[in-house]
Amino acid sequence: MVDFDRSAFIHKFQEEAAEYLQRLNEGVITLEGDPKNRELIDQMLRDAHTLKGSSRMVGLLEISDIAHRLEDIMVKVRDGEMAYDPSMSDAFFEALDAIVFLKDNAGKDIAGQLDVPALLDRLAAVAGGSHEEEPPGDATAVPSPEAHAEPQPTNPAPGSPATTAPEPPPAAAAEEPQPAPAAPAERAAGTDQQHVEEKLQARVQQTVRIRTEQVDRLLNLVSEVVISQIKAEQHARDLRGAQALATDLYQAWRRVSAAIAFEQQSGLAAVSDDLAIIDEMVGELRTRMTQMLKEYSEEVSRASTVVGDLQEHSMAIRMLPVSTVFNAFPRAVRDLARQFKKEVDLIIEGGDTELDKKVLEEINDPLIHIMRNAVDHGIEPLQRRRELGKPEKGTIRLAARQEGDHIVIEISDDGAGIDPAAVKAAAVRKGYITESEAKSMSDREATYLIFEAGFSTSPIITEISGRGVGMDVVREFIVDKLKGSLDVESRPGEGTTFRLTIPLTLAIIRALLVRVSGQLFAIPTASIEETLRIDPAEVIKAEGREVIRRQRRTIPLVHLRDVLGLPVDEDTEPGKLPVVTIGFSGHRMGFLVDAFVGEQQIVIKTLGSHLKHVDNVAGVTILGAGEVVPILNVPDLMANARRMTGRSSGRTHVKPEKEQGPRTVLICEDSFTTRELERSIFEAAGYVVQTATDGAAGLTKLREGLKVDAVVTDVQMPNMTGFELTRAIKSDDALKEIPVIIVTSLEREEEKAEGIEAGADAYITKSVFNQDTLLDTVERLIR
Amino acid sequence: MERLDERAGVDEQVRRILRERAESLAQAESEEHAVETRGLLLFRLGEETYAVGVESVREIVNGFSVTRIPCVPAHVLGVINVRGEIVSVIDLAAVLNVGSSAGRSREEEEGSGIIVRSEDVTAMLVVDEIGDIIDVPMASVEPPLSALDRAHAEMVSGTVYQNGQLVAIVNLARILQPIGEAA
Repeated sequence: MVDFDRSAFIHKFQEEAAEYLQRLNEGVITLEGDPKNRELIDQMLRDAHTLKGSSRMVGLLEISDIAHRLEDIMVKVRDGEMAYDPSMSDAFFEALDAIVFLKDNAGKDIAGQLDVPALLDRLAAVAGGSHEEEPPGDATAVPSPEAHAEPQPTNPAPGSPATTAPEPPPAAAAEEPQPAPAAPAERAAGTDQQHVEEKLQARVQQTVRIRTEQVDRLLNLVSEVVISQIKAEQHARDLRGAQALATDLYQAWRRVSAAIAFEQQSGLAAVSDDLAIIDEMVGELRTRMTQMLKEYSEEVSRASTVVGDLQEHSMAIRMLPVSTVFNAFPRAVRDLARQFKKEVDLIIEGGDTELDKKVLEEINDPLIHIMRNAVDHGIEPLQRRRELGKPEKGTIRLAARQEGDHIVIEISDDGAGIDPAAVKAAAVRKGYITESEAKSMSDREATYLIFEAGFSTSPIITEISGRGVGMDVVREFIVDKLKGSLDVESRPGEGTTFRLTIPLTLAIIRALLVRVSGQLFAIPTASIEETLRIDPAEVIKAEGREVIRRQRRTIPLVHLRDVLGLPVDEDTEPGKLPVVTIGFSGHRMGFLVDAFVGEQQIVIKTLGSHLKHVDNVAGVTILGAGEVVPILNVPDLMANARRMTGRSSGRTHVKPEKEQGPRTVLICEDSFTTRELERSIFEAAGYVVQTATDGAAGLTKLREGLKVDAVVTDVQMPNMTGFELTRAIKSDDALKEIPVIIVTSLEREEEKAEGIEAGADAYITKSVFNQDTLLDTVERLIR
Repeated sequence: MERLDERAGVDEQVRRILRERAESLAQAESEEHAVETRGLLLFRLGEETYAVGVESVREIVNGFSVTRIPCVPAHVLGVINVRGEIVSVIDLAAVLNVGSSAGRSREEEEGSGIIVRSEDVTAMLVVDEIGDIIDVPMASVEPPLSALDRAHAEMVSGTVYQNGQLVAIVNLARILQPIGEAA
């Protein structure tokens, strides 16, 4: 036998075999309950065959022999010569465990620890089982042509039960380098117990179940080690500085001592001994520092590699394939499709991509939301698809892949796509954007409006629907919780693709450190579009807000310190202004900071057990020096910044509020009590209130030129009902932009439908009526 | 029967000693039952002395540097790093509305802190000076003074006289309520 280095191949084999063994183990269990599963039998046969071949290739002949026997059995089961009987499982498991043991100990001296010949006999007995008259020779046992091509050792194993174990080992074993000739009789006596022990041993070696908290605790400690390592690296740099100082000192001293030696005669002789000592000490100091630095630097860089590996491997402990989540989707999509009376095929790709368990747990809900959206709004009804010449069955593709330190998950459908015009119209109607903003908005930007909190293209707001809880939840999960990003791409008529980019692990992210009011803050890099240093002259003041122009787009500017409520730092230097622009679901915002400090990897920690949730702050990180730095929460920042720059209440800015003046509502209500109740609610919230006792009176006031921001109306009123009033307002070009909120005690579905049909913007039933619902709804509509 | 025989065999003197010892043990035990005590850690806040139950005290910290966290209630000074664990820092003087001499400068290195924990919340209370640990009889713990205003009274779980001074025991269950839990 030519001796080549097998170790590398053995390692490969060990990896490969683990997979087959796992599958065979599972197969045995499945087969017990379903002994006629042809597909499974074929697969198990293939797996056993592959194991036999590849173990032979790397010279693990014992494994090959055992696999060979398993193959024999499976062939017979396949050919119907014998039926799989659950009583055979024990022998199977024993064989598989033996293979695991042999595989894991490949290359080690394990002679005598496992009685392979006896095992082979038992397997042969199983194979012989119902057909004892047939000698289990090669010709019948291995019908596959490949097997014939290999030099098969003949196995004259007797078809008799284990009592024959004390017989001389069969030829197969004799061919092995170490035929383990130890006293066979003795071994046979202890066989049972021995095998139980081996079984246990093999199991323990393969996998260990660990509670996730334990893994988390371990990871927590690992991140501490990482931090210590960063500190150690800092110390190494400090030490280098100290060493440079020692060198300078040494050289300076050299010059001084030379000068002193020259001046020796001038009476310094008295201290010459001391000078000699100093000379020696300075030299020694330098040598020692240099030595220490060298050793320490080496040590740190060695540790750094180890810590890096430690971190990587411990993170890997918590990694699971995305298929653990994806596998539930075919069923979910089928149910959804049925619910919406559509036909949908789901294609899953990249199920073996691995992701942190924590991330996986969080990702299920957003994916379900997106799927639901795709089935409901994306895929067109059967009829429509037929008309469009598309295949009747819609297709949704769910694909995962790794890109660097991120996982990208794409959900695409071949449905209608998102209609930017419809989205814009709905956004204008709901008051997220103005007409002019809608005009200047690109289709791509418009698409992102669907992630707006409370956004919905549904025609009316009621208590239970149209409040747009859906895509904003997705955004919150992906960006807020998972520190990832969410993109959407849509082609009208062709379909929509949602792209989720998620960091591989939640524990460590890249972040930009900035200084604001003398304090450091970390902003996740994933959310940052760019960092700029702008000239103060570039800042344009418009309508009381500050904006900058970038690539023909207007970006509102806010001071991060204002968003965070921090004091002004007097020490900020004049000159270029550092700005971080953050893109968040189609919006961009520039945050002015005092200084950029740098970008680095940070370990995310929570704010501790006391502070469960803090506005604008997602957590903290600990820097090398032990310094604690808050990590900012991008969705909160954007929401708060947008509030400050403008369109809504803008409490922090004085100007816009003044310009807009208080809002006016018209209340049409015949009941005096209700009218006065509503009046007091709106007045308390700072509105100017006009009232009318019925629809006709209200309409007259509006036609006479009363300017209001919203109409709140009852339904049943004398002269003109609320529905009639709504219809009149919505069909009047001068008035149709005014939101109409119907407040009524009618709550049957038909009445709601009538409200929708009349064109009302919201429908609030008095039974759930409370001031918050009312104010909230009105504010939502008129901002 | 056997026992009687045994007893008969025991020397009179030994029996007396045993009886005495048993009695004294019994007495000690009944004393322990009668006077259940509670351990308190005293500390100074401004001019006043307060206490926390020792069972809630995890550790005492001298010298720390607080990282401010924006957008938190005023009585939360920020967080500190305790061997990798993030612990929030509570300005107890602000909670109890006590005029404390140290004021805001307590954010800096010099202060003393008591890390306390309830069932699932751990936080550090900033105090002016750490005092002794005392054992007081349970019975001597009285309800909070009725003279206190309501907001203050809520933060105190009881009072106890100690060296002629009235010591308020802070109500950790209330003070350690998590902040910002699904509002």
